[in-house]
Amino acid sequence: MDNMTFGKYIPGNSLIHRLDPRLKIIVLLVFLISVFFDAGFLGYGILGCFVLVCALLSQIKLSHILKAIKPMLFMMLFLMFFNVLLMHTGEVLFTIGSIPIYSGALLQTAYIFIRLVLIITLTTIMTSTTKPLDLTLAIENLLGPLKAFHFPVHELAMMISIALRFIPDLLDEAKRIMKAQASRGADFNEGSFMEKIRSIVSLIIPLFISAFQRAEDLANAMESRNYNPEATRTRYKTLSWNIIDTFSLLVSMIVSCGVIIMSFVL
Amino acid sequence: MSIKCKKLGYIYGQGTPFEFQALKDVDLEIEEGSFTAIIGQTGSGKSTFIQHINALLLPTEGEIQIDEYTISALQKPESLKSLRKKSGLVFQFPEYQLFEETIEKDIMFGPMNFGVEEEEAKTIAKKVIEMVGLDQSYLEKSPFDLSGGQKRRVAIAGILAMNPDILVLDEPTAGLDPQGTKEMMNLFKIINESGKTVIIVTHDMNHVLTYCDHAIVMNNGHVERKGTVKDIFQDSAYLNQLGIDLPLITHMILDLNKKGFHIDSSINNIDDLVEAIGGEIHG
Repeated sequence: MDNMTFGKYIPGNSLIHRLDPRLKIIVLLVFLISVFFDAGFLGYGILGCFVLVCALLSQIKLSHILKAIKPMLFMMLFLMFFNVLLMHTGEVLFTIGSIPIYSGALLQTAYIFIRLVLIITLTTIMTSTTKPLDLTLAIENLLGPLKAFHFPVHELAMMISIALRFIPDLLDEAKRIMKAQASRGADFNEGSFMEKIRSIVSLIIPLFISAFQRAEDLANAMESRNYNPEATRTRYKTLSWNIIDTFSLLVSMIVSCGVIIMSFVL
Repeated sequence: MSIKCKKLGYIYGQGTPFEFQALKDVDLEIEEGSFTAIIGQTGSGKSTFIQHINALLLPTEGEIQIDEYTISALQKPESLKSLRKKSGLVFQFPEYQLFEETIEKDIMFGPMNFGVEEEEAKTIAKKVIEMVGLDQSYLEKSPFDLSGGQKRRVAIAGILAMNPDILVLDEPTAGLDPQGTKEMMNLFKIINESGKTVIIVTHDMNHVLTYCDHAIVMNNGHVERKGTVKDIFQDSAYLNQLGIDLPLITHMILDLNKKGFHIDSSINNIDDLVEAIGGEIHG
């Protein structure tokens, strides 16, 4: 639990830290799309270099990024396991027991692995260089035009910022409850499967109860201050788009779009 | 079950940008069967320290010895679970740890985790629910239907049910009404008198004076002073400087002595104080 780094902001003053949060969201979105276009290993090589440059510029320690990838390893292995077993494209490379392993399956599995690592790395870079509230502000700003269609942009942004705001709190709460139950003999690490299930139940139920309690308290606090989502408000913080943002946008668009075009050409 | 610490230190988030040294060079010994108070301002490392007694936090420097278990930065005992059975830790606001459908089941959770049979655990539940001042009819109720104070009692019963040799309490009376506070403190005294070691973190110096025999003063992750309650409260100027108020009784004795009385400042209850004042006036 102490190693939860995914989504945690790390204060700093690198180039990536200073970029406009709107830019970071756009770049991430376009990158996510381009990752899913199959431009072969060359394409992934280019995207990989892009992520690497971002990581270097952000001055975030490599160990921090690896820590964020670690929890996803289990899911990746799980996906790969089924992929290798169930996909039947390409030619049979070899067999394990009576199960044939196809070349297409291995290739696809490698792609999935690379995609997940790239996505998690870039997302981690974004969340660790951008304050959650800046991100929310950026989302609200980017969705602004939708207001014309009566889309509840402000409410959505408020919900996101509340959700982000409570992640560390709930993590702390989970830690506290885990400790309290551990001192009552609950075993989260050792013990049989059934014991583990029981331990998890002893964590989940108090956590839910406290989350509902917090939600109720917050709703009351907001209402007692007469919160009105429709009211027009000014901001303490405003976003400013600089020349470096335009430049970064151009670079990342060339990379992402280049890869997408490559996938059609190749 | 004595507790010994040598150069104990703890750093939160070691090796991350959020590194924070919460404990440093803690040397102390807590004797078996004592009723020890840990006092100090918020953030002085009290809660971090007591979690080491339960091996919930493992030292990053130095070592802590609890009975035959030695835990250091380099070695830890094979089974932390058996240590946790011996030392029961009641967290601050323990009511948040309740989760079962009935109070009985919740109290049985601890003992059954440590291998007690179901029937025996039920007998234990009946016993401890009465110890904390609720009657047996509560056993069938849901813990979530109770008031805050009653939840607290049930949560404490859940720890008592494990029959630990060391009972560690982190501000167990915070937010309770005066009557409930008194009942809880008396319960801990009774448990202490039955031979158990009781360690309590508290901000209420009146409790320290009335119930405890030893006190440890913490500040900025260090142990600043340790000794008997009587000795600790002698130095009022020092305690004030740490933002700790004297107990009302001690405060009054010191005020009286300033005006020419000669009352023993280690008196810890109203009756003795009244008698001492009476003695001075008539004698």
